[in-house]
Amino acid sequence: MRWTPWISLAWLVAMILISIFAPLLAQHDPYMPITQPLADPAPETPLGADALGRDLWSRFVFGGRISLSTSFAAALIAVLLGTTVGLVSVLWETHFDRLMLWATNTALAIPGLLLAMLLVTVMGPGMDVVLLAVGLGGAPAFAQPARIMFRQLASREFVTAARALGAGKLRIAFRHILPNGRGELISLATTHLAWAFMGITTLTFLGLAGDPALPEWGAMLNEGRKHLIETPLLAILPGTVISLTILSIHALGDWLSRDLEAHGSA
Amino acid sequence: MVPILNRDAIRTLAGTILRRILEGLLTAWSAVSLTFFALRIGIGDPIDSLLSQGLATPEQAQALRHDLGFDLSLPLQYLRYLWQLLRGDMGTSLYTGRPVNLVIAEQASSTFELALGAFAVALVLAFALGVISAWRKHSRSSWLANAIAGLATSLPVAFTGILSILLLSSALSSFASSQFTSWLQRSLLPVLVLGFASAGGIARVVHAGLRETMELPHMTAARARGIGGTRLLLKHGLRPALPPVISMSALQAAFLLTGTVVTETVFARPGLGRLLVNSILQGDYPVAQGIVALAALLYTGAGLTADLLSMMLDPRLRREA
Repeated sequence: MRWTPWISLAWLVAMILISIFAPLLAQHDPYMPITQPLADPAPETPLGADALGRDLWSRFVFGGRISLSTSFAAALIAVLLGTTVGLVSVLWETHFDRLMLWATNTALAIPGLLLAMLLVTVMGPGMDVVLLAVGLGGAPAFAQPARIMFRQLASREFVTAARALGAGKLRIAFRHILPNGRGELISLATTHLAWAFMGITTLTFLGLAGDPALPEWGAMLNEGRKHLIETPLLAILPGTVISLTILSIHALGDWLSRDLEAHGSA
Repeated sequence: MVPILNRDAIRTLAGTILRRILEGLLTAWSAVSLTFFALRIGIGDPIDSLLSQGLATPEQAQALRHDLGFDLSLPLQYLRYLWQLLRGDMGTSLYTGRPVNLVIAEQASSTFELALGAFAVALVLAFALGVISAWRKHSRSSWLANAIAGLATSLPVAFTGILSILLLSSALSSFASSQFTSWLQRSLLPVLVLGFASAGGIARVVHAGLRETMELPHMTAARARGIGGTRLLLKHGLRPALPPVISMSALQAAFLLTGTVVTETVFARPGLGRLLVNSILQGDYPVAQGIVALAALLYTGAGLTADLLSMMLDPRLRREA
């Protein structure tokens, strides 16, 4: 559909704005009980209250801050790490390339989320640990396609020409390979962002953020699950928001890669 | 199905298969080593955490350290771990003191039941969605099948699981006994929810493969010979499209392993996934290590099986080095 990318973009921008202006939008402290447990919506609490009597709307807007910022940070870790490893291994194609290929394949033999859980086991539960774990756990899955893409670019004529003209490896990396791979990198990074967001909210849903009071969408989904029959909104609100966010990022990623195909990458 | 092979062809085929098996074993070994060193270096001495939580006296800790081999040097510990693993021994749980083997074996059947059921659901659903979306381009049914496949890949299992419980309880509460509802919730729903989540990725590959083969000349030739309908679709269209579908299914089998973790939490089902989460939260690392090692072995095994199956289906792949 023609409008899908624009609706997706609008949704993502709205969620980011809500997170940025959370202190202005929230009427209450997301950690403080202010009314009866599981209270119905009222003028003071527009979406009702959770099991401890905390305002659902305030927890939702503050939750976006944590969920979205940690997902962006985790995706950034994977993108930076994967791009660096991919570039270095393609340009200095020696033993390092083989070592990296072996390390990537080994890490890929364990599904990314299990790798992240393994890291949480090492470092103990916590939101910062979840961020790092999803970032590092997803890095191999990003490094693999990035490396293949860089490899293809490095074998193109303009790179050979630059090399013949005496360009150094750093110059080839920053002047020739990265600018030409930019479109595909952005498309890969978008897909990876969806994975990181899914990963973060899954780990917090499993309680690996450590602190159950944390206003975070995945953790809120888990808390809401316990009162599903009495107040379904507690689970439906974070669940719907998580799903729509993932759908939107996927739709943007599809649109970017289709755009790339239509206009060519170089 | 197998074309006539001369002796040389058989020898190269055996070589390819053997090399692939060795590669798989090597990957599994490196993955197991990676988990061992990550945990041992990252956690340090796990007995310290027992001491600090007051779960063991210093004398008990010393004895436990000796029993578990933590007083050895790291390379020796590694060799000991590998040797034990080869004999099928994965150590003992730090908290219950029971063999990890036994703890895992108790929970494994429930998880494998869930994973296998979900995999079957995923395959059936994926082929249905993929074939419908590829068969008639730009039709309403094709659009719908694509949309469902997209939803399947995007919706988190945690949310679809919760929604399904909610729907079931509101639909059945009026006329069904609660026993029947809870049976559905324990056994049928988790399989359907996890199967739906894994179907999306496979459906996309089925769709892409079918679209590609439908453009090939042999399809036009088959159509010209008067072959139509399901025979055209299944024999001439689908078979060449299968190898990537098989690889994708192996990937999704890995997703199933992580998917069971969430599914078991949502539906309060016992199993390896719940065991993993609990052992992570308690810091019971031998159990977590055992489950991750098992997952790595299963995953590599799935990849290997997929490659061998593809070679059986597509003669062109057998010649590859």
